[in-house]
Amino acid sequence: MSASQIPNLNTLRGPRLRGRGRGGGRGVPTGSSDQHSGDQVVQHTDQDATVSRLSAVELGYISDPFVKLFVAEGAQRRFPIINRGSYVRTSAIDVLVDRFLRTDLSRPKQLISLGAGSDTRYFRLATAYPQTPLLYHELDFSTNTKQKIATIKGSDLLRSLVAQAHDDDSAVQISEDGTALHSKSYHVHPIDLRTLRPQYEGSTPPPSLPGVDPHLPTLLLSECCLIYLPPVSADAVLKYFTEYIFPRTTPLSLILYEPINPSDSFGRVMVSNLAARGIVLQTLKRYSSLALQKERLRVMGFTSGQAAADVDFLWEKWIPEEEKERISQLEMLDELEEWTMLARHYCVAWGWRDGEEADTQSAFNGWKSLDVRRTEALV
Amino acid sequence: MSDLDRAIAQLRACRPIPEPQVRELCYKARELLIEEGNVVGVDAPVTVRIHTIPALRLALMNGLQICGDIHGQFHDLMELFRVGGDVPETNYLFMGDFVDRGFYSLESFLLLLCLKVRYPDRITLIRGNHESRQITTVYGFYDECLRKYGSANVWRYCCEVFDYLALGALVMGASNTLGTSTSTSTNESGTQLTEEEEIEIEILNSAGDVMSRIPRSMAASSDNHETVNSSPLSETSRGAPARSGPVGTGATSDSLGSVGNPGGAVLCVHGGLSPLVETVDKIRLLDRKQEVPHEGPMCDLLWSDPDEIEGWGLSPRGAGFLFGADIVKLFNHRNNLSLIARAHQLVMEGFKEMFDASIVTVWSAPNYCYRCGNVAAILELTEDGSNGGYIPRANGDVNRTGDLLGPVAAGGQISGPGRRYRVFEAAPQDSRGMPAKKPVADYFL
Repeated sequence: MSASQIPNLNTLRGPRLRGRGRGGGRGVPTGSSDQHSGDQVVQHTDQDATVSRLSAVELGYISDPFVKLFVAEGAQRRFPIINRGSYVRTSAIDVLVDRFLRTDLSRPKQLISLGAGSDTRYFRLATAYPQTPLLYHELDFSTNTKQKIATIKGSDLLRSLVAQAHDDDSAVQISEDGTALHSKSYHVHPIDLRTLRPQYEGSTPPPSLPGVDPHLPTLLLSECCLIYLPPVSADAVLKYFTEYIFPRTTPLSLILYEPINPSDSFGRVMVSNLAARGIVLQTLKRYSSLALQKERLRVMGFTSGQAAADVDFLWEKWIPEEEKERISQLEMLDELEEWTMLARHYCVAWGWRDGEEADTQSAFNGWKSLDVRRTEALV
Repeated sequence: MSDLDRAIAQLRACRPIPEPQVRELCYKARELLIEEGNVVGVDAPVTVRIHTIPALRLALMNGLQICGDIHGQFHDLMELFRVGGDVPETNYLFMGDFVDRGFYSLESFLLLLCLKVRYPDRITLIRGNHESRQITTVYGFYDECLRKYGSANVWRYCCEVFDYLALGALVMGASNTLGTSTSTSTNESGTQLTEEEEIEIEILNSAGDVMSRIPRSMAASSDNHETVNSSPLSETSRGAPARSGPVGTGATSDSLGSVGNPGGAVLCVHGGLSPLVETVDKIRLLDRKQEVPHEGPMCDLLWSDPDEIEGWGLSPRGAGFLFGADIVKLFNHRNNLSLIARAHQLVMEGFKEMFDASIVTVWSAPNYCYRCGNVAAILELTEDGSNGGYIPRANGDVNRTGDLLGPVAAGGQISGPGRRYRVFEAAPQDSRGMPAKKPVADYFL
């Protein structure tokens, strides 16, 4: 370890409220019912994830100039094991998104991020792929979208990326209550995901999502989102897209990032620790393994291909050696056994349907050469 | 009641002591530790067995308890003392990593330090890789001191103590056996064994009940890796006879190697071996009174791990090395050791013997980081006063002298000491009226 790796002690002087006091000043109404306080807890997982992300960014794991704009309470340093996890999660999803965007680069594409919260992916993509016509949607509770839109309004940098080609702010429409945003390339939808369903309820149609193009090759993204929904709702959300919004001819795919393996001793402690914080991973039991995640993707309509890998595998196989070397220089990781255990309890799963396109022209061709061998062996 | 006793009482209640008192404690501790060599000599205490008076027997049965990582899990440290016996009645050797990760590093370390100063001959503390300025700034102890005192002074005092902690300990005179038991058991081949056996390994639960007992013959003859590492909490090992090798394979290399050399010493060190350290005497020559260096013998002793490799390998931790069975066996032979006890690596079952029981990992932080779901263990060694040393014997009819285990014996592996593992789980959250600050483990959300 070189001298430059000795942590700057001043960075540790800020308030350390690990896992507490999140979301201060976010205007969350006080919950009166269990349902409400449960939702609040789920909404707050966003800030937890964002703080973890900022920690990884500040230490040099990840490059993301936008995330600090979304953290109200200043940087908190997470343990190296968490930073590495944030890094692998981001890197693996970035690889998948990158391959999707780079397949026929100039072809317009659509991303729909479920429970997006403070996620910065749109801003990162708008910066990194200026030549790709991108239609980006974020869905979340109105409490979270309101906060996000306020942050965007308050930042010149973010505002300019939302307005993009347009030089005036009029191209960006924000609803009166500040919970919805629509621009040419970026939409923020205030919606409770539990209302999404593929069928009419009586004469009431499923909710609409203004700005969604039902014909563009589309990637759905759920980073620790659907897992908080009751299994029936989680399935209904996916079917809303695969059966209601998008005709069968549209190439459509899904990337999931979720915990798995609830039944071993680490998994049992994870479930009970999160339960103590009011966080219930509702679909964890049903989709508890890589095999079950793949089966889920198939059943939900992503019939052309499915794959899943745990984070330990992704670290080992997807992160290039020189990157691993760089990461190991950032912080000394003295938690190897724990890291392996933790990393085997999170997975990235992805599946797709080609729609009308011939296999050779699939919008998801870029995913077919990815290394998932060990996961196949595990199944 | 002396100030020190008051401080002990206060820390036992998980309440930090005032800064000036910490300063004085650390000063005294340094004065004490500076007199210790890099490798502290520790005697396994004589065990007095008075079988007829159960209560007295319990009090006197306690030998030397060797403990692994604690990591600021204060309530679990209290559970450890409950399971292993209280100080000063019981002797303890802690193999480092007192601080970081848990929420009570300060209280845990200061309590151990107080006990060390109060009962210097009863408590041995050696240094772990977390007893370092650099690591504690990343893994929590620095933050904790800052939070609890508003300044880094206490952290500084503690780090000065870290620099004086010994690097290892040598336990002399440990008995080769935990006594004998006359038992009838049926082994896997269905053969009845009714015999008085020397007990080599005993696994106890936190209530002190024997969960399994492994006679020397079986422990030596079967694959130790599996036998002794079978989870004490798993259904199969609970109360069932220990897995054993085929009947009659009892006499092995062990007995040969130990002839005329009963009970070699046990080396205790936090991490493991170093390619730069061939002998225990070399450890004695190091200048240890410094921050843990990033490389070199002192670093390796605190950072290395045994692994299923041959020779030496690079450590994925970025410090120290990996070392294989050949390295351990050669080192033990050369230094007249029967066992290396070390900590440093989380093992879900609390302890793990490797390489024909030539090295054991002891892990004493249950449900590590309030997240891992593991059990913890401590290793008890005793000197049996009634038995001046294990007299090796072949087990009955089959004498395997000269079989393929022979060369190992010729290489001189010394018979291991009797090993009693006490396995325990995390203390209940609100036990003993402790302030219930709910630990929050991080997850990806």
